[in-house]
Amino acid sequence: MASTVMIVDDSLFMRKMLRDILEEEGYRIAAEASDGEEAVARYKEFRPDLTTLDIVMPNKTGIEALQEIMAFDPAARVVMCSAIGQESLTQAAAQAGAKAFILKPFNPELVARVLKEAAEG
Amino acid sequence: MDMSQYKNLFLSESREYLRAISEQVVTLEQSPTEKGAIDSLFRGAHSLKGMAASMEFGDVVTVAHGMEDLMVRVREGGLPFDAGVADLLLEGVDLIDLLLNDVEADRETTPPPGDYAQRLAEYTPSPQGKKQEAAQPVAPPAQIAAEPEKAQEPTGEASGTVRVKTELLDHLINLTGELVTNKHRLLNIGRELESPALNDAVSETAKLLRALHDEVMKVRLMPFEAICDRFQRSVRTLAKKSGKDLQFELEGRDIGLDRGTLEQLVDPLNHLLRNAVDHGMEQGAERVAAGKPPKGVVRLSVSRDRDRILITVRDDGRGMDPRQMIEAAVRKGVITPEEGEVLSPRQALMLVCIPGFSTAKTVTDVSGRGVGMDAVNAAIQKLGGSLVIDSEPGQGSTFTLRLPMTVAIIHALMVQCGKVKSAVPVTAVHRTVELNRRQVETVGKRQMFQLDGEAVPLLSLNRILGLPLGRFPSGILPLFVTEAKGRRVGIVVDRLLGQHELFVKPLGRPLSKIAGLAGGATLGDGEIVTILDMADLL
Repeated sequence: MASTVMIVDDSLFMRKMLRDILEEEGYRIAAEASDGEEAVARYKEFRPDLTTLDIVMPNKTGIEALQEIMAFDPAARVVMCSAIGQESLTQAAAQAGAKAFILKPFNPELVARVLKEAAEG
Repeated sequence: MDMSQYKNLFLSESREYLRAISEQVVTLEQSPTEKGAIDSLFRGAHSLKGMAASMEFGDVVTVAHGMEDLMVRVREGGLPFDAGVADLLLEGVDLIDLLLNDVEADRETTPPPGDYAQRLAEYTPSPQGKKQEAAQPVAPPAQIAAEPEKAQEPTGEASGTVRVKTELLDHLINLTGELVTNKHRLLNIGRELESPALNDAVSETAKLLRALHDEVMKVRLMPFEAICDRFQRSVRTLAKKSGKDLQFELEGRDIGLDRGTLEQLVDPLNHLLRNAVDHGMEQGAERVAAGKPPKGVVRLSVSRDRDRILITVRDDGRGMDPRQMIEAAVRKGVITPEEGEVLSPRQALMLVCIPGFSTAKTVTDVSGRGVGMDAVNAAIQKLGGSLVIDSEPGQGSTFTLRLPMTVAIIHALMVQCGKVKSAVPVTAVHRTVELNRRQVETVGKRQMFQLDGEAVPLLSLNRILGLPLGRFPSGILPLFVTEAKGRRVGIVVDRLLGQHELFVKPLGRPLSKIAGLAGGATLGDGEIVTILDMADLL
């Protein structure tokens, strides 16, 4: 069965792009969320196999949302999306339990590979 | 990956971010430490950069990146959010806006001026905390109290929503309108055939149509917010230009208006705000001398009153004196002294709407010569609305716009005069009265009647339309009460036919040039009626 993914990003444009890339790869998009608070709530509701989490978001940043998701489900597989120049944040995210990172702008092949590794590893 | 499929989404979301950034800039000028707005401004620039990078629009990335970095300095580096920062950010918004237009038209983007990024990177607040370029007048910025507790930002859209082109919405309302006309046709046929089955089916269709109409109208509603940022920007720029210290307040930004109405409100409201800042508002010293606080307040508020939208533009400036208005109008030959004598204060204030009339002592490059109030009034009437001016010398002025919720499908009072059937939008009708002939009083040359303790003049619609006068053998005069230039008037007709739902169609030339006609509509039996614009007609 296809792995389910939740996509979290405050930009509709980014969510749409990621959705297209992931659906192309055979993932099923279980849910989307547009801010950190919604991400935590939706995670609890849908329990996706994988979650992509943007870092810069309103109503709880990606890092805060990650901490809450990990506290709720220590086995959560969360991949953080970040832009170049946010190295300090990626460190904090790794400490909080993020499985992997993908850089914006998205490179479809890279996104596919990172998610595959995160799903298996 | 083919990115062209994302272009429209990129454009619409980027523009939402730009709008939000403009609003947050003015919010922050009011409360420079408002953490929510600082964060949200930073996120806006960050998101713009990320989207543009995905689309590989390098020029947009450069500008957005510079804005983001500047906001990082405000957020983390202790750079105060002063007028210089605000100016740079707004400049960036304008630059990106131009770039997006290029993208939309599939043109090569015009690279932003090379020094913009540099000015952003090198920006330091000057010791006085004022703007750096000495050439600019150092007027305090207009402070905008735009409900700062709600730092607005687009949150994207929940999954399960789609974006549609606005033309599609226009088609939907047109189709719904045609269906309404056809429903009345079916109702007529059902009556003729006396078929209960057909009548049942038609009345069920009518119910569904009602629901469809409501839904279509809801889809067409846009929050007033969609046009707010332009006003904030223009008031800010004007206040700066004229060196006036003022606070701009906005209220009711979440009130929904039909998008057609909204678009047509931008120019009239901009004009009213310009007038308020430029003509209404005094300079600080003049205010202090008059015992008022040095900082003036201009307030734009929107509210809903059942099926009407109420918009007011209010300033606490010098106000207008009705007597001076009359004197000026007589001097300019706009009215005769005799006409001036019978004008009520409210009517006198409406003189500003006569083409060519202006009370401004000097001409400024800001709002020009007072041209335009006539255009404002015309635009509001075209929307089926009305304009009322209240003013108290020394205390300020209030311009109140009353607008119908929609301009496409309206409820109208159908009236008959001679052989002519006409429609009057119910928004223009205060009430209908069946008046006994004995209750008509003659005052001088005028016929009046008493309504709620006020003598209200009577006019004949037949006479206004050039039709033979009615006879009224029963001694009962059917009339409706409407308002003209701030006063109630009773309009006598041959018969009141009742309310009717109409799909308004604009009149083409040359009919559109005839004063007093707001549009036309087709009734269910194919008969064409004209919709009267009472304010224009009287």
